[in-house]
Amino acid sequence: MGHVLAIDTSAGTSVAVLKNGEALAEVEIADTRSHTESIGNAIQDALSAAGVKPSQIKAVAVGRGPAPFTGLRVGIAAAIMFAEGSGAELFGVISLDAIAKQEFAAQGLANDTAAEQPLLVTSDARRSEHYWALYSGLDRHGVPICIEGPSVNRPADIEAGLTERGIIAERTSLVVSARAIGELFEAQAAAGSLSHDITALYLRNPDAVEPKNLRDFGKKVSG
Amino acid sequence: MSDWIIRPATEADLAAIMAIEHECFPEDAWSQDNMHFELLAHHTEYFVAVRGELVVGYAGLSKVPASDQGDVQTIAVLPTARGLGLGRALMDALLTAAKRLHAREIFLEVRADNPVAQSLYFALGFEHIDTRKNYYQPAGVDAWIMRLTPPQRSIGREPVVLGIESTCDETGVGIVRGTTLLANIISSSMDEHARFGGVVPEIAARAHLEALKPTLDKALAEANLSLNEIDAIAVANGPGLGGAVMVGVAAAKALSIATGKPIYAVNHLVGHVGVDILERGQVETPTVALLVSGGHTSLLLVRDLLDDVELLGETIDDAAGEAFDKVARVLGLKYPGGPEIDRAAAGGNPNAIRFPRGLTQAKDMEKHRYDFSFSGLKTAVARWVEVAEAKADSGEGDALNIADVAASFREAVADVLVSKAVKACLDHNVPRLLLGGGVVANARLRELAAERCAAAGIELRIPALSLCTDNGAMIAALGAQLVMAGRQPSSLSFGADSTLPVTTVQTL
Repeated sequence: MGHVLAIDTSAGTSVAVLKNGEALAEVEIADTRSHTESIGNAIQDALSAAGVKPSQIKAVAVGRGPAPFTGLRVGIAAAIMFAEGSGAELFGVISLDAIAKQEFAAQGLANDTAAEQPLLVTSDARRSEHYWALYSGLDRHGVPICIEGPSVNRPADIEAGLTERGIIAERTSLVVSARAIGELFEAQAAAGSLSHDITALYLRNPDAVEPKNLRDFGKKVSG
Repeated sequence: MSDWIIRPATEADLAAIMAIEHECFPEDAWSQDNMHFELLAHHTEYFVAVRGELVVGYAGLSKVPASDQGDVQTIAVLPTARGLGLGRALMDALLTAAKRLHAREIFLEVRADNPVAQSLYFALGFEHIDTRKNYYQPAGVDAWIMRLTPPQRSIGREPVVLGIESTCDETGVGIVRGTTLLANIISSSMDEHARFGGVVPEIAARAHLEALKPTLDKALAEANLSLNEIDAIAVANGPGLGGAVMVGVAAAKALSIATGKPIYAVNHLVGHVGVDILERGQVETPTVALLVSGGHTSLLLVRDLLDDVELLGETIDDAAGEAFDKVARVLGLKYPGGPEIDRAAAGGNPNAIRFPRGLTQAKDMEKHRYDFSFSGLKTAVARWVEVAEAKADSGEGDALNIADVAASFREAVADVLVSKAVKACLDHNVPRLLLGGGVVANARLRELAAERCAAAGIELRIPALSLCTDNGAMIAALGAQLVMAGRQPSSLSFGADSTLPVTTVQTL
């Protein structure tokens, strides 16, 4: 496999260029409110730092979240169009999976091994909620095995759910990075489990209340 | 401010023109039949200078489509109106028309014994290329043949520009070559908003993300082009719904990097004005533009498309399209409200109910001469319906006449929009009005604009509806103008600006 461009905007703006699973360049912008402003320069800078031309990118891997809506779309939109413009193939990975892989690697967990305790990966979903998923270990290609989630709940409800079932889970404070997205992509490629699904994982419906009676408006008018 | 305007001549001006013709050319005036034919011919463009209510001058150009030469047919200004710059203004109108019609050379004849006219033509760049002896009879005066060769654009070919639009609920990708439309594909999420009775920003943004690639692919297929044949990418970076704009901006930036093509961030509202280029080869300026949609109600004064756009006024509460949607709900009609109200209004009496015209009273006109307000109107309609229904329920009144309410409401909206737009034209001495935005689909608005503009001697431009609603072609067209004007591309750092002012045509 040639060069891979990895993009994730589920937290800040993160872009990496990888080859054979090794990151050649990484750009991280932690700010969670400037995805649109940052994404162009982040891609450009990562390519320049890696010394790679757009035409050399053979695959684009993008984090699908779950994540709060607005920023997440920036990375996915950019990934779609970079692939379109460069002729690269486009793949989606779940951002929480990438964090799990990173955490298991940090713990020194070997491939094809179950962790002593399941790993709970969470990320900020705003509005006092967390996105979460639970992982049991790594398969033989190093792809984390997700046993529950991803879902979105209040932290107390996530804990209660685990306690109820007697699950004692490991935690991680890691935040997703494009490098982790790229590494997961390489492992999935080896496992033959790559996915072209790049739809955004919002896990929440848009904030819009369907009026019960479309004429309600008229009755509420009071001047 | 001058007290005259130049506007296109109509058949109704014939008598006034003939009176001037006889006064200015007593010996060799054209016949009335001849002049009538000239005014009506398809290959001619005639303009009149109007001072007060009187036609005091006129001029005409002939440009046969098959030829790249234009001819100044005639020009005359009443002696009492000379020295005001009317001759120059009439010539400017003819030369602008010649440029629009792609004339590469413009010819005219002038009496050898008329140095005043000759010096005007020299000042405009004409040169004296030949003399015809005894041309003007019976006096036997020679004619100078003069020619103007306007400078041609220096770039070898016209740039192919791809435009991306995502500021509201329409994902648009358009492709133009210079001023020529090659593709205009629109994917709308309108149906998804219907059950909410209005555009839901998050739903619109989600839909953009899904529609982007298919819309781009369709546009390329329609233009029969591949991405490497595109010279530049343009994107609307506002004003609009922030989350929706972000999708288009992020997409455009990545496409720019991946293809190595320059990117131009352009103003969505100015795009609505620039779209006229695709039908007429240019935007004739100065022009007033009335842009009316579900998100905007803006009155613009455009002296130069790229460098001088001024916001005269805008809505201080609801956009006109929003008012249609809300009143449709009050009347139990579907979303989007515009077409529903149009249908319901058919056969209704527009004068049945005198609904308020927002910000048109004297005290409001001082501060909000060109601003709009539809919130009070919407409330007035809701109240009226409430009262009428209550009366009907208690047997005091007839059943609610939806046709009358719809027609009267629509009349109030169209009236206030058109009155303020026409006022803006007259106040600023601008002889043309351009309409844009989805509400232009409203039949009564178009009709009333046509009526009032004709009465005020204002030329009305309404682009095809597919170019009036939000679309990528208008973004591409404006981007192409920037490219052709040699403007530098935008950096990759610009953001989505939901309140981008119209004075910022391009964000660098």
